[in-house]
Amino acid sequence: MMEAAEPTPAQTTPYREPVASIVKLDGVVKTFHRGSEAIHVLNGLNFEVAEGAFEALMGPSGSGKSTLLNLIAGLDKCTGGTVRVADSNLGSLSDGALAAFRSRTIGFIFQSYNLLPVLTAAENVELPLLLTKLPGAERRKRARTALRVVGLEDRVNHYPRQLSGGQEQRVAIARAIVNDPKIIVADEPTGDLDRKSADDILALLVKLNTEFKKTIVMVTHDPAAAERATKIRRLDKGQLQ
Amino acid sequence: MTLTSLAVGNLMRNKFRTGMTVAAVAVAITAFVLLRTVISAWNVGVEFAARDRIGTRHRVSFVMQLPRRYVDTVRQTRGVRAATWANWFGGKDPRDPSNFFASMAVDPESFLDVYDEISVPADVRARWQADRRGVLIGDVLARRLHARVGDRVTLQGTIYPGDWQFNIVGIYTATRRSMDRSQFLFHWNYLNESLPPTRRDTVGWIVSRIDDPSRSGSIAHEIDRAFEQQDVQTLSMSERAMNASFMGMFAAVLKAINAISLIVLLILLMVIGNTVSMGVRERTNEYGVLRALGFLPRHLVMFILVEAIALGALSGLVGLAVAFPFVQLVVGRALEENMGAWFPYFRIDKPTIVAAFVASVLLGIVAAAVPAFRAARLTVTDALRRLD
Amino acid sequence: MIPLSYSLRSLMVRKATTAATAFGIALVVFVFATALMLVEGISRTLGSAGDPSIAIVLRQGSDAELASSIENAHVGVVLASRDVARRANGDPDGAAEVMGVIALDKIGDAGISNVAVRGVTEDSFAFRPNVHVVAGRRPNLGTDECMIGAAIRGRFAGMDLGQSFEIRHGRRVRVVGVFADRGSSYESEAWVGVDSVRTAFGREGLVSVIRVRLRDPSAYASFERSVEQNRQLGLDVQRETTYLANQSEESSKVLNGIGIAVAFFFSIAAMIGAMITMYASVARRGREIGTLRALGFKRSNVLLAFLIESFALGLLGGAVGAAASTAMGLVRFSIINMGNWSELVFRFTPTPVILAKAMVFAAIMGLLGGFFPALRAARLSVLEALRA
Repeated sequence: MMEAAEPTPAQTTPYREPVASIVKLDGVVKTFHRGSEAIHVLNGLNFEVAEGAFEALMGPSGSGKSTLLNLIAGLDKCTGGTVRVADSNLGSLSDGALAAFRSRTIGFIFQSYNLLPVLTAAENVELPLLLTKLPGAERRKRARTALRVVGLEDRVNHYPRQLSGGQEQRVAIARAIVNDPKIIVADEPTGDLDRKSADDILALLVKLNTEFKKTIVMVTHDPAAAERATKIRRLDKGQLQ
Repeated sequence: MTLTSLAVGNLMRNKFRTGMTVAAVAVAITAFVLLRTVISAWNVGVEFAARDRIGTRHRVSFVMQLPRRYVDTVRQTRGVRAATWANWFGGKDPRDPSNFFASMAVDPESFLDVYDEISVPADVRARWQADRRGVLIGDVLARRLHARVGDRVTLQGTIYPGDWQFNIVGIYTATRRSMDRSQFLFHWNYLNESLPPTRRDTVGWIVSRIDDPSRSGSIAHEIDRAFEQQDVQTLSMSERAMNASFMGMFAAVLKAINAISLIVLLILLMVIGNTVSMGVRERTNEYGVLRALGFLPRHLVMFILVEAIALGALSGLVGLAVAFPFVQLVVGRALEENMGAWFPYFRIDKPTIVAAFVASVLLGIVAAAVPAFRAARLTVTDALRRLD
Repeated sequence: MIPLSYSLRSLMVRKATTAATAFGIALVVFVFATALMLVEGISRTLGSAGDPSIAIVLRQGSDAELASSIENAHVGVVLASRDVARRANGDPDGAAEVMGVIALDKIGDAGISNVAVRGVTEDSFAFRPNVHVVAGRRPNLGTDECMIGAAIRGRFAGMDLGQSFEIRHGRRVRVVGVFADRGSSYESEAWVGVDSVRTAFGREGLVSVIRVRLRDPSAYASFERSVEQNRQLGLDVQRETTYLANQSEESSKVLNGIGIAVAFFFSIAAMIGAMITMYASVARRGREIGTLRALGFKRSNVLLAFLIESFALGLLGGAVGAAASTAMGLVRFSIINMGNWSELVFRFTPTPVILAKAMVFAAIMGLLGGFFPALRAARLSVLEALRA
């Protein structure tokens, strides 16, 4: 947790330029329909994420944090208000344009890794690059580089079933960064992992944020995970606390 | 709720898949019923052949003729009550050459005595006998030719070339299902007199009515013995045997149809088996729970078997429900009308229906065998762990 | 595009299901290819063996050799026509032969069947340069020696080198040779010297058929005119291609029709089987589909990936079915030649075109079966799919 430091004569906080918001939600409403009932999960939410931030979103179940994440990631569209991510107004994009947006801009990390079981680690990591115009040799090179960043270059040809949970998640992270996305979206990335593997993953995320300057928005229940972030936000009943 | 109703109820959990399986089986069963009915309908001639009739033909081939005088000898054979003869005419309707029907030159005096299942009123019979160009046609043929009593008809001869004129004197019906109702029967004399002398006085085959059906074998022998030393020998056998040997000429086709109906059953097995094993695999977890609750492996086997049998029975019933109208009404009617000579009576017989149903149920059991066996051998913990 | 390896490897995850579905498709392809191979075999034996420069002369009104009889004296008149080609030694290139039919016991099947017997002369061999002896030697025509076609060797009692059979009560002929003729219908015949056949079948002074080779296929019209206009002759002329086509037409059409109808029926069942398998596959892989969509792949990419999968499934079944059907090339099949009611033996003939057609059929089955499941996969919403 960070607290604003009182400036002392011997020490001044360095001047920081105001950083642009890479995510800007204005008056966002998201309503789900269950039968004839309408449930307003988000009701006029304003939310901003600065570029280069590592934000953790916490809150009880039903609070809308996953919904918020889905909106940012372009997996879902809001019912009202605007969602701007990396200079794109997501509400105005068609299905196809949203898909292209996700491929260019977002890197995904899921709780249950979601690797394709029939592809090797290298092939899984290469997957997002197939949506670009890069030639095969270049794609394979970048995939290998990404796997090196996560420390798994000796497992490139293994299938997911041959990897441990922690290793699978690292492959997933490699996949998430291989296309050099602006934002990494992580939904309970340590939820299925033991303590040790969870720590490894979180260290990796911190590295991505500090060394590679990736903006990360992470939904989590795990306080240890939240602590690694630079900012923690709490959501309850669709409102930021 | 019983274990059985639970097992059967499982079928309704994936209505879509059950529905598609039933649909596939229905199609396959329709094909199966159609194929088997083709064979059984073809055999109608054998099944329903008259017990008290013997056919006599040229020993070598039925395409070769016998001398007319042979009929007199046959009539004198002990045990023969009445005998008649016929020549295959092979005429074509010039307005519709592809319409195949049996046209024969027969002896009007004796033909209807030997073939008493051909039914015409007495006055029609008399008129036919009196008119040298008179012809009796079957009611099915009459419909196809759009012919009525009193019409003039011309046939083109193929074996006996030329255009032949006839008068339709009567339309017959049949009292036995094996009788071809598309025949065209005219006077043998009319044919014979029009032939050049070298080709006269020959008949295609001779048919006798005998007094004692149990002696048909020995009477047939007697007839043949009478001609043994002559230039042209005969071959006599009961009408049933004669029809069977005709069928024998198509042995290859029948074998092929049989083989194809087996292939249908294999396809059925694949479809039912696939569905059953998918269901079992998806419910592995549940079976684990049942075992944890105290059910035994054999209970699981019963579950799976009952479900498979129910699937087989259901699909079999639906299949038969679809096959019946299609084969009997649509295909059967069409064949009886257009190929009445080959298929005078195209109906699904009971053995076929039973076979189709039994096959579906048995296939269900066979299909369930391997999945049931595997499910029974899983340990409880393995089954619980499977989340598939 | 979603990688090919994703689609193909996904098929291998559920090996048993893939195998069962592919096998179902294979069975259908097998029936389809076999039917096509039979029609090909028939057309090779009867149809394409026809030579457009050969004309067949029969008695007027006869549509088959067996039924026709032509006086000896007329043979010379026909052969003298200017339209007939001449051999090197100046003789007209033609052959006049007598046809008969005999009944023999079948080997392997119970029963008797008919075999066509051709009474030949030296001309017959000169006329048919493709006829060659494959075992034994040519018979001496004035004696009781004969040669038999390769297709009927071993199929009837007495039909092999060194054996003998009767062409008439008390008249035996000895088999001294076996001949082949590029799989034509002649290979289902027995050839004996013409004089023996004449006396055996009572055709003194007659022949059944005259075949001539025209000096040019275009000379047919003038040849036909000159022969048919001569009323004294009373003869009919046809091209050999027409004659053979007519003979096989009925049987080919029927067999073709049955084969295609059966395959069509079966294909519906096989397609439903493929559909069941693919639906289950889509249902099982909800999260994979959601992941792909999340990563940015479009609905059309997903549709294509699943279509490719079912296409590959179809091809797999097609390959197995087509390969199995080539084994049928070893099987001989007999139908009845409606012209002389004797056996005509065919081979199932595999050709590259037939195998290609079979593969296309299989691919179509795969595509059609997989279409709706692929559509469902594509229409899943991303979030729903991820939650699966």
